[in-house]
Amino acid sequence: MHFGQSLIDALSLGALYALVALGIGLVFGVMRLANFAHGEIITGAAYALIFTWHLGPVVSVFVSLLVGVVLAILMELLVFRRLRTTTPATLLIASFGLSFLLQRVYEALFGTNVRTAPVASGLAGTVTVLGLRLQILSLVTIALTAVLLLAVHYFLTRTNLGLQVRAASTDFRTARLLGVRADRVIMLTFGISGGLAAVVAFVMTVQTGAVGPTFGVPLTVLALVGAVIGGIDRVIGSLVGGFLMGFASSFFSSWLPEGIVRFRDAFVFLLVILVLLVKPAGLLAGSGTVERT
Amino acid sequence: MSDLPGKVAATTPTQTPLLDVRDLEVRYSGVPAVKGVSFHVDRGETVGLIGPNGAGKSSTVLALAGAVRASSGSATLDGVELTGHSPEEVVRLGLSLVPEGRNMFDGLTVTENLRLGAVARRSEVPLTAAIAEVVELFPILGEFRDRPAGLLSGGQQQQLAIARTLLAAPRMLILDEPSLGLSPTAVDVVFDALGRIRDAGTSVLVVEQRAEFTIAFCDRTHVLHDGRLTLALTPGAAHDADLLTKAYFGS
Ligand SMILES: Nc1ncnc2c1ncn2[C@@H]1O[C@H](COP(=O)(O)OP(=O)(O)OP(=O)(O)O)[C@@H](O)[C@H]1O
Ligand SMILES: [Mg+2]
Repeated sequence: MHFGQSLIDALSLGALYALVALGIGLVFGVMRLANFAHGEIITGAAYALIFTWHLGPVVSVFVSLLVGVVLAILMELLVFRRLRTTTPATLLIASFGLSFLLQRVYEALFGTNVRTAPVASGLAGTVTVLGLRLQILSLVTIALTAVLLLAVHYFLTRTNLGLQVRAASTDFRTARLLGVRADRVIMLTFGISGGLAAVVAFVMTVQTGAVGPTFGVPLTVLALVGAVIGGIDRVIGSLVGGFLMGFASSFFSSWLPEGIVRFRDAFVFLLVILVLLVKPAGLLAGSGTVERT
Repeated sequence: MSDLPGKVAATTPTQTPLLDVRDLEVRYSGVPAVKGVSFHVDRGETVGLIGPNGAGKSSTVLALAGAVRASSGSATLDGVELTGHSPEEVVRLGLSLVPEGRNMFDGLTVTENLRLGAVARRSEVPLTAAIAEVVELFPILGEFRDRPAGLLSGGQQQQLAIARTLLAAPRMLILDEPSLGLSPTAVDVVFDALGRIRDAGTSVLVVEQRAEFTIAFCDRTHVLHDGRLTLALTPGAAHDADLLTKAYFGS
């Protein structure tokens, strides 16, 4: 494969993973929760696209976004809010449980087989730019990610609520003593992460056209690992780590020799282990403390 | 303040203290740290709270600020019950705590820290004017407005911690060991500012370890010992060695 093409593919997969990791990292910042059930938000939003696509793209994308945001906020309201004062380990286990539970719920509602719909199939084609045959979806993914990153950056650095999210991520107790409303900030953060999950669901659904109960799982696992190697306690760490995971897997897929490419994930995780041996807290680790009580 | 002076005079509790703490108790996993503390702070008054390490000073003020739960007792601000409220609600009711240890958001700039302090602002005065006012109180903050808080010295951080809290426009300002770990000059700067805050009419409760200094600074100073108030001292007692010894080692 041409190097330029595989570079664009890797950039786009990196961007996709970065979006997943960003959603996970934002929530981790305010909650010290590595939300495993983020994958089920992606799955839910993806089902929404499949089932509503016949209503037209605008309606369908809107419904999907809504499902992502509402699912994320419901998780916070019904599960995580009650566990806020517990240890990060409890939160992690709870999110595991929630993840499996939702997978079973999807199974019961929509069956174990994948559901299909030609979601934005026009984006699945290719264009030729400067002699490179590029997937339109890859370009769209990169552009979408760039826009969303700028938007999140603007929100975090330029708005009052974003400032509150950053403060809460650094030291929740002090933020509350200054009047930052914990419930509001956490709910907002879950909502943003749900919206990001819906965008990821869109890209994934266009790519595969098929959604099953565990649709969001592989992506979430890799992005979570990425967030950890990047340094999950800082948003930028999650982002870079997630990007590197996607970028590396895509590159390994394109360039590992024929007989070895099926061990791609082994290579990715070898890289992960090497990073963690050198920088156990992650590449860009910070030193935040959080207390939510 | 009101166009119905006659009626309001009867209902406004100007006679009752601004902050009224009664039989306050705090327990950590059942173990009592504050064992029934009662005191009050009048409007415009500056009250000190001193006592040895582990006496329960921080627990007391954290309970007032809503950051730890009071297991029993009550605390009212202008007649409004504070216990049972979250910290963010207590700030909105008009009581703000500058907690022990400064607690900077290292990555946020001085200006961002100040903006955070205004999240629960209770005043109609425009924020820019209020910021100008605290910068006048702590000029160094104006000079370093774009500097990350993590790069400030301990004294500058304490100034920022107080300044951002003032932006909420509290009626009752509580400071937990504002002099902790500061150089003597930095302590002077901080207490000079506290003096001016007091003179501007804000009621202040200041927790300290340094007895003499605090007793001299405050209108009244309570001694907390093993979760109980043992003595109340007025500035005249600042140099009474006997009383000070009693205060620290119990009578
Ligand atoms: N979060 C907590 N969990 C359990 N015990 C605590 C906690 N915080 C304080 N304590 C205990 O409560 C008692 C009172 O502590 P507190 O911090 O209120 O004292 P203090 O007077 O502020 O002391 P210092 O001068 O050292 O700041 C101590 O015995 C302390 O060990
Ligand atoms: Mg203390």
